[in-house]
Amino acid sequence: MTAPAPTVRARDLTTTFGRTRALDGVSFELVAGVTGLLGPNGAGKTTLLRVLATVSAPDAGSVLALGLDPRHSDQRLDLRGRLGYMPQEPGFHARFTAFEFVDYVAILKELHQRRARHQEVRRVLELVGLGAVRGKQIKALSGGMRRRVALAQALLGDPDLLVLDEPTAGLDPEQRLRFRDLVSRLGEGRTVLLSTHQTEDVVALAQHVMVLHLGRLRFAGTPIELAELAQGHVWQSQERDPGALAAWRTGTGQHRNIGSPPAGAELLEPTLEDGYLLLLGGDQVGEAAA
Amino acid sequence: MSEADAADAWHADGAVLAAYSESRLDAAGRWSVEAHLTSCAACRLQARALVDPARLRRLREELIAAVDVPRTGLAERLLVRLGVADHTARLLAATPALRGSWLLAVAATLAFAVLAAWVDRGPDAALGFLCVAPLLPLAGIAVAYGPGIDPTYEIGLAAPLRSFRLLLLRAATVLGTSTLLAAAASLALPRLGWGAAGWLLPSLGLTAASLALATTVEPLRAIGITAGAWVVAVAVTVAPPEPSSVLFTVAGQVAFATLALLAAAVVLVRRGRFEADRGFDTTPRFAARRLR
Repeated sequence: MTAPAPTVRARDLTTTFGRTRALDGVSFELVAGVTGLLGPNGAGKTTLLRVLATVSAPDAGSVLALGLDPRHSDQRLDLRGRLGYMPQEPGFHARFTAFEFVDYVAILKELHQRRARHQEVRRVLELVGLGAVRGKQIKALSGGMRRRVALAQALLGDPDLLVLDEPTAGLDPEQRLRFRDLVSRLGEGRTVLLSTHQTEDVVALAQHVMVLHLGRLRFAGTPIELAELAQGHVWQSQERDPGALAAWRTGTGQHRNIGSPPAGAELLEPTLEDGYLLLLGGDQVGEAAA
Repeated sequence: MSEADAADAWHADGAVLAAYSESRLDAAGRWSVEAHLTSCAACRLQARALVDPARLRRLREELIAAVDVPRTGLAERLLVRLGVADHTARLLAATPALRGSWLLAVAATLAFAVLAAWVDRGPDAALGFLCVAPLLPLAGIAVAYGPGIDPTYEIGLAAPLRSFRLLLLRAATVLGTSTLLAAAASLALPRLGWGAAGWLLPSLGLTAASLALATTVEPLRAIGITAGAWVVAVAVTVAPPEPSSVLFTVAGQVAFATLALLAAAVVLVRRGRFEADRGFDTTPRFAARRLR
């Protein structure tokens, strides 16, 4: 089986804010399907997503998305016509209803023909399950509903590339489930890149995962490969192992430890979260020692 | 009468239903059939088979399109009435400077300036008015566009509509409404003459200058700098013994007309700067063209 052709290629992306390197030579490729972007706060996730959404350009490096180079004004506009972007903290005109807000964004997306535009607005609001409250003012909607309104605007025009910045933040478990179902369906034939703090989101819906830490890409592969990083590095013990990079008490009263296990330790099957923590923990230990 | 009773009572004739489904019945016939269909499942089933599903879908969509239309505000309706396309009207209606409360504040400011002129009644009674009026469009634009001001700024940047177009549309609308209000207010000044229109060219000049400056710094800061420069210029040029300002002489007016033209040219040349939060515009334009 041949590998699917990449839809997005990023090379050596570097962005600096003052003395902070938000992105430090990040290179990766995306293919159709859902890719989860994991990383702690301040890792550079939002900066990376903003670059992909053409909201911000990198100081150095290049992006080729859907065959288009956003450095060229005409290609940037073409790309903007084919991408959907949900910012981390989407702003709303509070007096607008859900329908009016999405309709407003549809105009920004240059859907000018009124009837077709309204039909598209109704379609995306139905898609995120907000058809019934479309006439409600946004300020009267719950936090979870607002996030879905923000997602709805990103789906306008059926974009080929979806860039979602922490779309599951603030959703309750039931909404999260619905959201995963929706995004995994959207991932069929489309390129979806979503950032999240939740490793469960990645396990549940991503075919690919990238880990960003301190502006550098630490991992790119499948969720199974990320979990396998921790193979032989997760063990169980009665008490918290002082030699572990990370350890926590589980519901069974046992402790789950990640790091270099002592001889004879009771090894456990690693999860994606173990691989992620090992990756970050290992780096932090390495930096402290340096 | 229950639905079952109705069904037992009588059924619509197949030919009648066919005529109904092809819109061949007169109004009375249609109403009778519809009244019956609402209570008779068997006839509904029969009628459904007669109607072309594509036509039904189209009718349903048309019905939804006609009924499910978002309400539009007064400003938006007015703009559409004036011949502005509905999508442009929506973009403009989201401008805070078009809200009633904003327009009221502008009107009140102008009214106070006019009142002050009537109280003064001296040869330069209108000076206060002339100094305040050019600041109003600046204040309007300050709350019309930019990061931290426009809630959809970030989403807007990722959308294909050129941010420059949005900025110009809003700036033009703000300038238009405040100019109209100021023009109406200047008619109420105690001494009418060409001097009473001395605010107009500074208004244009300052607005254009702040847009030109916004290609380099954040829009809000650009407006702050321009407004500050105007206040300083007024303070420096108004001589206390005989309060008047060179800004409102012919020379001053020519200077503001020139400023407006130059600034407009700068805005036009550097409009690419509005297309991203940072970065894309820093690529030297000419170098990019040569590369291609």
